[in-house]
Amino acid sequence: MSGLLVIIVLGTLILILGLRLVLQSSNAGAQSPSVTIEEFANAREALDTVFVEAAAIERIFSTEDMEFVSHASAPKAQRRFMKERKTLAIQWLRKMQKQVAELMDLHLRLAGYTHEPNPRFELKLTAKYLSFLLVSYALLFLLWLRGPFKARRAVAYTSGVAGYFCTVFSLRLQSVNAVDLGRDTTDIHL
Amino acid sequence: MLANFIWFSAIALEALILLRGSTTGLLKKYPLFYSYIGCVLLKEIIGLITNEFAPKLYEPLYWPTELATILASYAVIIEVFRCSTRHKPGIRRLTQNALLSVFVLTVVYAASDLWHGGFASLSRAIADLGRDLRYVEAAILLVMLWLLMRYRIPLGRNLRGVIVGYSFWVGLNVVNLAFWFLPGNEFSILLRGLLPATYTITLAIWCVTLWSAHPEPVPPAETTIERDYEILAAKTQAVLARTSTRVARIMRP
Repeated sequence: MSGLLVIIVLGTLILILGLRLVLQSSNAGAQSPSVTIEEFANAREALDTVFVEAAAIERIFSTEDMEFVSHASAPKAQRRFMKERKTLAIQWLRKMQKQVAELMDLHLRLAGYTHEPNPRFELKLTAKYLSFLLVSYALLFLLWLRGPFKARRAVAYTSGVAGYFCTVFSLRLQSVNAVDLGRDTTDIHL
Repeated sequence: MLANFIWFSAIALEALILLRGSTTGLLKKYPLFYSYIGCVLLKEIIGLITNEFAPKLYEPLYWPTELATILASYAVIIEVFRCSTRHKPGIRRLTQNALLSVFVLTVVYAASDLWHGGFASLSRAIADLGRDLRYVEAAILLVMLWLLMRYRIPLGRNLRGVIVGYSFWVGLNVVNLAFWFLPGNEFSILLRGLLPATYTITLAIWCVTLWSAHPEPVPPAETTIERDYEILAAKTQAVLARTSTRVARIMRP
């Protein structure tokens, strides 16, 4: 019976992936699958922004502020403080999720230009990305449920994995067949 | 009456696909796919003739011809793989390795399954082999679809049509075969009845999407950005290394 279940799952997955491939190819008509050097530059700038904000992010999850507010302020101010921090933390996490997803998208499109993609590396990256998605959504739920001050360990993990993706992204630059990259505009500021 | 209508429709659609393929030039572009269609058409014609003029021969001929078409359908996978990775040598190597691994693993699994199952009769053994080959094909197709999606490989309309029709057919066929080999299952009887109709739908998908030749996605043109690129890459690497180290330090609990 378990064999039957495996086969049914296999058949269903084929149907779902077939459908998704059609949808993806239809959307790809609007968005070019080739990667331009401008996209590289934009991705770099976006990442830079996220990490420049790191000092501010540290304050969002800092327990010092919370301790200060809980000793010195009225309950209404405390609630407001918690609400603001929670909103900020969720916004930051969503932004990071979006950046990593964009990086991953760029990486996958770039893999087409790579002369020798390493299967082990690609598998590892996929596993890492899936774990990142899992933990970041769990963290989102945790932030929503318990607030930003109870989730520091998960935050550290999420940031660590995001850092890993940045390193992978920079390594990917080395193995890209640059001659195959396209160009949208003529001005690049280096 | 309905069964005959579906049968004749399938033959007509197959002939039409081949005819359109030769007039649009797609036959030369996707020779393996059209060989498969030709093979199925031949099987259908043999089935029709034996059913009409020598009904006793129909049953012993059914599974061997079915096995031959299942083997021929592997050509479609090769065709899709060949055409989709034409301009992506790196991905081609990666996909080839992944597909070969899946093929070897599933063949070994299917062979051991077949061996342990024993051989009650020749037709049963052929039927089992055909089923296992279909499972192997499904596993390869699943991995290939996943890789095509993951690496955002651009597909032309014709090739997309081939993949969609093929996925629809193999996906439903595999589920159907799984139930087929479960004795006394009423759902399998229902699915068995639906299978010829699903094949006709598949042929209709192929007929529509391969009616005329559509251009393939153009590979990116060569540019002269190598020098600029190297400077950009060096700068990016420095920025990323610095920022990731900074974040890791800040966020450490």
